[in-house]
Amino acid sequence: MQRIIYIIQKEFRQILREPIFLALIFGMPFIQIVIMGYAITVDVKNVPLAIVDQDHSSMSNRIIQAFSVTESFRFTGILASEKAAVKEIDHNHIKLALIIPVHFERDLKKGLKPKAQALLDGVDGNSAGVALAYAGRIAFNLQKEWLDQKKLKSVRLCGIETRMLYNPSLESVNNIVPGILAILIVVITSFLTGMSIVREKEIGTLEQLMVTPIRKGELILGKVLPLAIVGFLLFNVGLLGAGFIFNLWLKGSLLTLYFMVILFMLTTLGIGIFVSTIVQTQQQAMFFTWFFMIFSILLSGFFIPIENMPQAIQLISYLNPVRYFMVVIREIYLKGTEFRFLWKEALAMFVFGSATVIGAVLRFRKRIG
Amino acid sequence: MNSVLSSIIKKEFRHILRDPQTLIIVVIMPLVMLFLYGYAITLEMKQINIAVTDHSKTPESRRLINRLTSTTFFKVSVFDVPERDFDNVFKQRQARCILVIPPNFARSLKRNTSTDIQLLIDASDPNAANYIQKYITQIVRQFNFTLNRSVTQAFTLETRIFYNPDFKSYYFFVPGLIATILLLISALLTSIAIVREKENGTLEQILVSPVRPYQIIIGKVVPYTILGFFDSILILGLGHFLFGVPIIGSYWLLSFTLILYIITGLSFGLLVSTAADSQRLAMMAALLATILPSFMLSGFIFPINSMPEIFQYLSLAIPATHFLTIIRGILLKGNGFGALYVPIAYLVLISSILIALSVKKFNVTLE
Repeated sequence: MQRIIYIIQKEFRQILREPIFLALIFGMPFIQIVIMGYAITVDVKNVPLAIVDQDHSSMSNRIIQAFSVTESFRFTGILASEKAAVKEIDHNHIKLALIIPVHFERDLKKGLKPKAQALLDGVDGNSAGVALAYAGRIAFNLQKEWLDQKKLKSVRLCGIETRMLYNPSLESVNNIVPGILAILIVVITSFLTGMSIVREKEIGTLEQLMVTPIRKGELILGKVLPLAIVGFLLFNVGLLGAGFIFNLWLKGSLLTLYFMVILFMLTTLGIGIFVSTIVQTQQQAMFFTWFFMIFSILLSGFFIPIENMPQAIQLISYLNPVRYFMVVIREIYLKGTEFRFLWKEALAMFVFGSATVIGAVLRFRKRIG
Repeated sequence: MNSVLSSIIKKEFRHILRDPQTLIIVVIMPLVMLFLYGYAITLEMKQINIAVTDHSKTPESRRLINRLTSTTFFKVSVFDVPERDFDNVFKQRQARCILVIPPNFARSLKRNTSTDIQLLIDASDPNAANYIQKYITQIVRQFNFTLNRSVTQAFTLETRIFYNPDFKSYYFFVPGLIATILLLISALLTSIAIVREKENGTLEQILVSPVRPYQIIIGKVVPYTILGFFDSILILGLGHFLFGVPIIGSYWLLSFTLILYIITGLSFGLLVSTAADSQRLAMMAALLATILPSFMLSGFIFPINSMPEIFQYLSLAIPATHFLTIIRGILLKGNGFGALYVPIAYLVLISSILIALSVKKFNVTLE
């Protein structure tokens, strides 16, 4: 027991000796939360737009006005011709051009159903689709304006009253922040654990430790615990940070969340130890954990809902421990979901966690001992 | 003197080749990421689980539900949930949204201009919530169309979509992937390669030999430029032949801008390596300053127009932003130099600032 405490003391001393590093790992979550919280907007706004007005009528003015007042589009000006519009799209100055043909208003009054044109830059397929939907909506409202009042009375419409639950203002921050907290744990515990063991290997101090009377189990525990503690502290700092910066406080039970964090750390620490047994240098350790992180984050539902993925990839994602924690932390954070609805995820994390820890420790004893 | 340089380059290559794990990851990681991005990443949603509570139970309400289920967007997972269980449906993740049709739906639809149905959405994932709202609005709009066949449209909006008419996501992701992986290799690998020599003490050994500092830098940088260039050709080739991403523009311009971008990444890696003393510090700094912003703020996934203004300016300082404009322009639009000189100038500017800073810093550290 005493020996474990010595190692833990040594580890903490090493961590504290490098203040820039410490600042980085504590600063990282804040930068991430702020950048991601603000940058990730699923809404499409300020799409640069130009209009080619060949009609010069009150109707075309009305269209220009309708498109220049919305937040969705940023009206950049009137262009002379279709050719000019295509060139502007080509040069990336605008994403959407609207062409109002000659005699548009006259044809409209005669009921000839004139055709306006929308030229759209489709390179960014996702936001182009959304922009197109917005343009369609504005056009639809303009058409409603044009219908005469008598006809309007006979119209029968089904409307939708939408209620957004758990996150009424649709802030992406609310979804991203719990996700970042999950990733934080992965980074600190698996990444840094692997690195700190391999570093001693690379420098040669691991062998020195081996010849001391420390048992291997104690050594692993001593190496792993400090980072688990740092990770746990950092997680709490993140919780407070999210609360104070974005006013996003935990809705569910803190105790349940802590329990889940500990279950999850079993897996991430296990992976850290495991990586340290297969690699020789810090660079390799970094790449392995990188590899693991990129896949586990991508397939965790952090950015992209898992239901969107092809069936085969969905099946693979069941092997990804981060997937379960991502669900758990979001549920507890945003909806206040109780443990009775989350026991399946907890069980999965426990199975993964104990398997990786046992596997990693066995391998560690064989390879290093 | 050139033989000195070439022997440093040779040494560096040997370092890379001796470490097959790194090499494998440098080659295999981009490929696997390409596949994952190509197949797994679509923000567009399909087969969303929806719960339907139909209080009306009339032909009209069934017609609306039919419209809902006949699309690929929705899949009804639960029928007729009582109101008190709504919360549990969401907490157990049985459905992402609940549609409630009021009891007087059919009657009101005949009498009133407007009849509301209720839609409850689990907005804990705002992106999904947005899509759900968009889809339901579309479906209801079509439903309204069939209700009002006598009312005709006043005018039509005809759409022509350029460059990517089917909104294919890999047209968008393959260039983005090249931008991020190149940065990963050029910035991260270089900084670590230099700091490793520092940490092991071998950098000092090189310094006491008659090698000039600039020769060390160039010798370190050249192998990674070649590696990065090779990687980008690999991704481009696969993207082109497997996913059908077009390469419309000039190959020369493409190669030139690729190298320019790699140099920008390398100069950033150099700067980090002169500032950092340990590999893990270099790694964290490079990670924080390159990977995160080039994923989040470059327009790779999230459109820059939609961000707050400060972030729009910030994105100008990120090389990936400009490189994405360039490579998307060349690949998808066939842009020539005339349309791209602004982002190219930005890249040149950023890399010269970085190189100037790191050379200054490098000389100081050496003395």
